[in-house]
Amino acid sequence: MCSGRLQTALLVAGYFVYLLVGAAVFQALERTAEKQEKMAAAQMKEAFLQNFTQLTVPEMEQFMKNLIEAIQNGVYPVGNESQFEESNWDFSNSFFFAGTVVSTIGYGTLHPKTVGGQIFCVFFALFGIPLNIVFLHRVGKMLSLLCKKLGKFLYEKGMRKKKIKFLTLLFFLATGILVFLCLPSVFFQITEGWSYSEGIYFAFITLSTIGFGDYVVGKQSDRKYFSYYRVLVAIWILFGLAWIALLFNLLTTVLEDTEKIIVKDLQQIGKVSKDNVGSQQRRCWPVQFVPEEELLPPRAGGDAQKMESLTADSEHTKN
Amino acid sequence: MLQSLAGSSCVRLVEQHRSAWCFALLVLGYLLYLVFGAVVFSSVELPYEDLLRQELGKLKQRFLEEHACLSEQQLEQFLMRVLEASNYGVSVLSNASGNWNWDFTSSLFFASTVLSTTGYGHTVPLSDGGKAFCIIYSVIGIPFTLLFLTAVVQRIIVYVTRRPVLYFHIRWGFSKQVVAIIHAVVLGFITVSCFFLIPAAIFSVLEDDWNFLESFYFCFISLSTIGLGDYVPGEGYNQKFRELYKIGITCYLLMGLIAMLVVLETFCELHELKKFRKLFYVKKDKEEDQVHIMEHDQLSFSSISDQAASMKDDQKANEPFVNSQSPTSNDSSLNN
Repeated sequence: MCSGRLQTALLVAGYFVYLLVGAAVFQALERTAEKQEKMAAAQMKEAFLQNFTQLTVPEMEQFMKNLIEAIQNGVYPVGNESQFEESNWDFSNSFFFAGTVVSTIGYGTLHPKTVGGQIFCVFFALFGIPLNIVFLHRVGKMLSLLCKKLGKFLYEKGMRKKKIKFLTLLFFLATGILVFLCLPSVFFQITEGWSYSEGIYFAFITLSTIGFGDYVVGKQSDRKYFSYYRVLVAIWILFGLAWIALLFNLLTTVLEDTEKIIVKDLQQIGKVSKDNVGSQQRRCWPVQFVPEEELLPPRAGGDAQKMESLTADSEHTKN
Repeated sequence: MLQSLAGSSCVRLVEQHRSAWCFALLVLGYLLYLVFGAVVFSSVELPYEDLLRQELGKLKQRFLEEHACLSEQQLEQFLMRVLEASNYGVSVLSNASGNWNWDFTSSLFFASTVLSTTGYGHTVPLSDGGKAFCIIYSVIGIPFTLLFLTAVVQRIIVYVTRRPVLYFHIRWGFSKQVVAIIHAVVLGFITVSCFFLIPAAIFSVLEDDWNFLESFYFCFISLSTIGLGDYVPGEGYNQKFRELYKIGITCYLLMGLIAMLVVLETFCELHELKKFRKLFYVKKDKEEDQVHIMEHDQLSFSSISDQAASMKDDQKANEPFVNSQSPTSNDSSLNN
């Protein structure tokens, strides 16, 4: 009776398989690079110690440990004295940090080290993240409004619905990729000196809010950035986040439909009784136990019927 | 990722008044909030950073003085190389050489942080192939994760929220709202203790130099998917049972994320009870049905999602393409 269970089981299994596959591929790709990096670092250390024989290994290690800890605290010990005037926690950098916390990107190149800073960070994020979600939802609305206008325009020109949908979707994807991924990468090539592929990698990792922090804008001490650089990047991040959230949701519905097709096929193969395959409801229990917010008002004809009508349509359009 | 999962019920509350005035207020409020955060962070962290910089300067000076054969330039070159490697997670210190960042369990942990968009950054793909694969893997994997989380949370919330609330409402005879509120608070409390306090205690024991606050801070930063990466478990020197530990952390993060979403959804449904009737009276007829369909589509973003839903019956409806929530957009409703 509950095809929803099959769907969910398939989904859970598929997800863990996806994780395992990803882990295996990452391991295969990165292991050798890491080995090489380690060997290079060890060789360099050897060469350095050989050059300066007064240095003992423990002294060296201690020094490096302190330095590495300083780096992790965001203090970069390479460079001349002028560095001491700039700070990682001046206002614009703190603003940038607040933005990365609230958007959940979280680069980590800068992070609070004091107890007070950490506690404040927790509370700041607790209220800031929902605020950010609502804010981005609005921005996303503005973006999708453009698509809607295009759709309306095409509709008035008399195009067929399916064609309109396809074109608007394509427009959404193409302009988004151009404006939020390709163009900024070119821009970063100039301002940051990264290669084009590194720019795209940075753009994607930032906009998906993964935010590793291996590439961060405005962090290279030996480059001159024009004054509104950070503000421009912040605006780009804002709109890009909204666009990518919309994109991910679109892809989610595509995956969902694919999953439903797979389940349907499985059911046809396994000859399980067909019961609300395309149903959005993934639960089944006696009607009297259904909480009222899940039941539609009688006027609309009841939930199951509506789902049936939607299902009938989906099957119709897929065939 | 969290913005994609924003419950349409949650966001809809704010959208009751959709004038430009309110939007301007929202923008202003958001900017003010950021400015406020910046000011506080700056004032709290700056003195500490100042101290650290001075200390480091002195350390470097002393080191150079003690070893006069070493020129500053040579040291700088050496340091740059070491620190570059350190940024990528490769430590040149002798007792750290045992930890591999890309063995299977660490890669699994990495993959899960990428898909949940936490992204600590303690390990990053070094090779070009790894970076390219990371992008492709995420483009498919993040929607997959959204789907996965939505499905799991939908099922869990039935057993954890809807049925208990209904049960207590029938048994004890209190109003739905009261039961729902009590239930939400209790659920929030249980979740906080199970997924924050207890794991924080466990981490503070298992990790050498983490105290309880730091472990709690780690749990919060991870489960909110901010993932700063300043604290990452399992990276300590000579960590026992490192592989098992990494797998355990991966499971914890996934379950914690699910739990957070369940609590979030429960709280959003709370308001929903009160606003529920209001939705009927204020809006037009067609809007109600649209609202109901979206309530089944709880955890999806409204605009594109219900456009996708409308794809399913495009032969019946003859409305414009993107179906936003504004009442002015529809000519005909989503059903008949």
